[in-house]
Amino acid sequence: MRRKVVVTGMGMVTGLGNGVPANWAAVKSGRSGIGPITLFDASRHRTRIAGEVRGNFDPAGYIHEKEARRMDRYQHLAMVAAYEAINDARLPYPPSEPYRCGAVIGSGMGGLASIEDGFRSVEQKGPKGAHPMVIPMSVINLAPGMMSIRFGFKGPNFGVVNACTSGTSAIGEAYRIVREGRSDVMLTGGTEAVITPLSIAAFNALRALSVRNDEPEKASRPFDRDRDGFVIGEGAGILVLESEDHALARGALIHGEIAGYGATDDAFHVVMPASDGEGAYYAMRFALEDAGVDPSEIGYINAHGTSTDLNDKMETMAIKRLFGPCAEKVAISSTKSMTGHLIGAAGAVEAIFSIMAIKEGIIPPTINLENPDPECDLDYTPNEAVSRQIAYALSNSFAFGGQNASLVLKQV
Amino acid sequence: MDDVERKVIDLIAEVLVDVNKENIQLDSKIVEDLGAESLDIYDMIALLEDEFGLEINDEEVEKIQTVKDVASFIKAAGRA
Repeated sequence: MRRKVVVTGMGMVTGLGNGVPANWAAVKSGRSGIGPITLFDASRHRTRIAGEVRGNFDPAGYIHEKEARRMDRYQHLAMVAAYEAINDARLPYPPSEPYRCGAVIGSGMGGLASIEDGFRSVEQKGPKGAHPMVIPMSVINLAPGMMSIRFGFKGPNFGVVNACTSGTSAIGEAYRIVREGRSDVMLTGGTEAVITPLSIAAFNALRALSVRNDEPEKASRPFDRDRDGFVIGEGAGILVLESEDHALARGALIHGEIAGYGATDDAFHVVMPASDGEGAYYAMRFALEDAGVDPSEIGYINAHGTSTDLNDKMETMAIKRLFGPCAEKVAISSTKSMTGHLIGAAGAVEAIFSIMAIKEGIIPPTINLENPDPECDLDYTPNEAVSRQIAYALSNSFAFGGQNASLVLKQV
Repeated sequence: MDDVERKVIDLIAEVLVDVNKENIQLDSKIVEDLGAESLDIYDMIALLEDEFGLEINDEEVEKIQTVKDVASFIKAAGRA
C-alpha cells in the first residue's frame, strides 16, 4: 500500500518572527533575522551573533507560565509551532482515533541549555543541586511526548536526532509512516534552541561559525566568496501530515504533498562533507526517484546552503551532477541567509518555505550574495525574490556526521 | 500568617499549574487537596531547599501533609 501524504497544517517560530505568515513575509522581502546574542553574555566568545527568537513568542499563551518553567526553550518553541500547525489544519483534538495519530520530531541537541544549567548547579551545590526536571527538560523525545500529552495523540511517537538533518529526517520518517498506513495523522518537524555558552564555544572550537560580529545581518552569506561560516539560529517548524484520504474525508485545506524522501550518509568524516558531494547527490536522487520525477521537473531547490566554505561548494557540485544541463535553470536559494542555521529545526522550517514557494509561485532569495564564489556558479536567486510557477520543490539537509536527507514537495 | 508561611505558599503556587494561590490555605493538604503528584513534590523540595538553604530528606517529606507542616519543618530546621 502506498498512500498519498499531504500537508494540512504548518507552524513556525524563528528569529524572523512568530508564525508562518510573518516568517514567509520576512523571507520574501529578504530580511535578516540575525543580531547580537542576548540570551547569555557572549562577550568572551569569538562569535557574538545569532538568529535569536526575540521577545514573547507565545503571545496566545498556549503554554501556561508555570508550565513554561518546567520546559526547556526547545520544547516551548516546538509546542508553540505545534499549536499553530494543528490550528492551521483545523484538526480537532483529542482525535476520535488517537492510535492513528502520532508525532515524530527532530532536534540536534534538545535541552542543552538545561543540561548546562543543571551541571552548573551540581558543580556549585553538589548532587543535591540537580533539579528533578533536568532530565525531562533535556531529552529530545519529550518534544513529541509533550505533543502527545497536549493533543491526545497515542500513535507512533519518537524523536529523531540527526544534527542539522534532524528536521528533514523527521518529516521523511513521518511521511513514510503515513504512506505505509501505520498512522493517518502525524505531527512532524524540528526544534532547536542551542544559543548557549557551551554550544557557541564548541562550534567556535570547530571553526564552524561566522565571526562577522560587526555586521550581523551580513554574516550568513551562502554561496558568497566572502562567507566565513554559518550563523546559528533557533526556532521550530512543525507540520501536520495526513493521508490524502483522511484529509479529504474531513474537508481539510491541503497546502501541498510530500512526494518523495531520500536519505544517505557519506561514510566519510565526522564533520566534513564528502568533497565530491556523493552522499548529497544520492539523497537528492533517491528523493526524486521516490517521487517519480525527473530533475527537469524540479522548479526550486531550498538548499542546505549553510554559508560554510565546504558545504556550499559540495552542494553545488552535487546539484550539478544530478541535474546535468538543468542545473543552470533550476531556481536555488538558501533561506539560512535570513534565518541563520536552525540546526535540527532547519529542515522543517525550510520544507515549509518550500511549500509556500510552490503555493505562491515565489522563490525566496539568498541574501548577502554580493560576490559569488567562482565555484558556486548556479542561480541562487541572489538578494531578491522572484516569481516563478513551480510544480515541485526539493529541500536539502546535510549534517555533521555525514547524514544527508532530501524531500520532494509537490503542488496540490 | 508569617513570612515563612507566605513564602511556602508562593513556592507551592509556582509549582502547581492548576492551583491558584488564593486557594492555597495553611491547612490545605498538599496531595489530597491541592492535587500534587510525585514530580510536583520533588520540584517543591528543590525550590524550598534553594530558597531556605536547607536539606529536606525523603523520610521527612513523608511526614509532611499540609502547607503548615512545610512551614513548621522549615522553621524548626532554621532553629536547629
